[in-house]
Amino acid sequence: MTAMLDFLNYGFVRNALLGSLLVGTVCSLIGVFVVLRGLAFAGAGIAHAAFGGVALGFLLGVEPLLTAVVFCLVTAGLIQVTGTRTSLRQDTAIGIFFAFTMALGVLVIGFMRRYDARIYGYLFGNILGVTSGNLLIMAGLTGIVLLFIGLFYKEFKFLAFDEEMAQASGLPTGVLGGLQLGLVALVVVVSIKAVGVILVEALLVIPAATAYQLTNRYGMMFFLSWLVAIGACCIGLILSYLLGVPSGATIVLVAAVGFGLAAIFSPKRKRCKICGRKLS
Amino acid sequence: MTPAVEFTGVTVVFQETVALQDVSFSLAKGEFLGVIGPNGSGKTTLLKTVLGLIQPIRGEVSVLGATGGRIGKVRTLIGYVPQRKPIDVNFPVNVRDAVLMGTYGRIGLLKFPGRKEQAKAQAVLAAVGLEKMAFHTAGHLSGGQQQRLFLARALVGDPELLLLDEPTAGVDVATRGQIVELIRRVHRERQLTTIYVTHDVNEVLPCVDRVMFLNRTVEAFGSCDEVLNPAVLGQLYGTPVAVVEREGRKFLLVDDRHA
Repeated sequence: MTAMLDFLNYGFVRNALLGSLLVGTVCSLIGVFVVLRGLAFAGAGIAHAAFGGVALGFLLGVEPLLTAVVFCLVTAGLIQVTGTRTSLRQDTAIGIFFAFTMALGVLVIGFMRRYDARIYGYLFGNILGVTSGNLLIMAGLTGIVLLFIGLFYKEFKFLAFDEEMAQASGLPTGVLGGLQLGLVALVVVVSIKAVGVILVEALLVIPAATAYQLTNRYGMMFFLSWLVAIGACCIGLILSYLLGVPSGATIVLVAAVGFGLAAIFSPKRKRCKICGRKLS
Repeated sequence: MTPAVEFTGVTVVFQETVALQDVSFSLAKGEFLGVIGPNGSGKTTLLKTVLGLIQPIRGEVSVLGATGGRIGKVRTLIGYVPQRKPIDVNFPVNVRDAVLMGTYGRIGLLKFPGRKEQAKAQAVLAAVGLEKMAFHTAGHLSGGQQQRLFLARALVGDPELLLLDEPTAGVDVATRGQIVELIRRVHRERQLTTIYVTHDVNEVLPCVDRVMFLNRTVEAFGSCDEVLNPAVLGQLYGTPVAVVEREGRKFLLVDDRHA
């Protein structure tokens, strides 16, 4: 056991653990809205937009996470505006921006004079490479996301439950929907260093989807989602260290196994006490 | 006295078709209006225009004293029961919380429902007969119970105007009667201005003060006797309509040659 915990003596491992706790927290909490509102594809679109931002950051020589924030927020705004102000369906808009920002990223890489392998680190993530500077940015963004979730907790619940009625009740649903996508964008940026552009989508969806299998209570769904994400991050990180395999992928696979178990043993598979029908 | 709702020459285009054409009517505070008309006649669009969710391209709408873009500001004074849409069976929200959502617009952003709102939610749940289901998952309710939940949500914010879009669609006859009786009682007790959209005029005959026959434009508007008579309805539906009376209540029978 002591030998197993020896790895905590390394600074980069402690950074990785702290980073994974931050990533697990933000992804799992905003993920509740992603799952309840059916925004999984929006999350994927915004995550891929981050790649364009990262590539641009490397080209301009600025912190890639900062350019990724700008790219993700602009993409989130465009998805929201296109979905609400035009006759285009939101998933079509996401599909367009998804491809556009990825293509932009590839083009920007083409402009670089020399090959920089670090860009590809952002595609698949490398939590063991998280620096103290990265941790500061991640902590700041995590704080912002948590603050907004707390402030608009009840409005986000209504939005997820019945958007039409939320609007009819006088809530600014367009602004709230845009804010939610903006928060997803921030969460993506917090997470890409750890799990990468491709795998962040999984952390946005899997813990919340697992919690959805286990409870019918809104507040409890946040807690369970957080628990699953933190568990997956810690177990995944330890396994990746012990087995010498990529950390981001291991975290996501552990979360996926958790989802599988929750789906099999979900109490929702029982019959409803009121109507008697099977619930899923 | 300022009318609760007033349309003056209102034309609305929705999804690239004219949904309402030159609609004019006025509804005084405390009145109960029944809106009937065929499918696609603009009944739901009428309600959404009252809510300010759809803006007219011509004409003026006045709702509770607000006009134009300011209608959005009085939305918190309006209770709305939309067309039936089943609740996701596993959505993690209980009946009481779903009803409390009806207070969110009124209490405003960044505030949470307090004891006052929770007491109101409990009271309206009792009024619609769902008090024992308060902590059940909302999606587990039957169709009729879900409609009662939506009605409770519309009433919990103490609205001045109640808009009902086919609130009994898809529920059995017995439950339909209970829901209509509930709406009638609420209207009477609170003197609540009510607009009730329905396909089945018999359902609201005992409650309404005035009836509108809508078919993109107002084909007929007036008291029950003025609109709901065989001559007027026969012309509007294009098929014979009979009025029968039983135990002091009127029923309309529309001739259906396909039956």
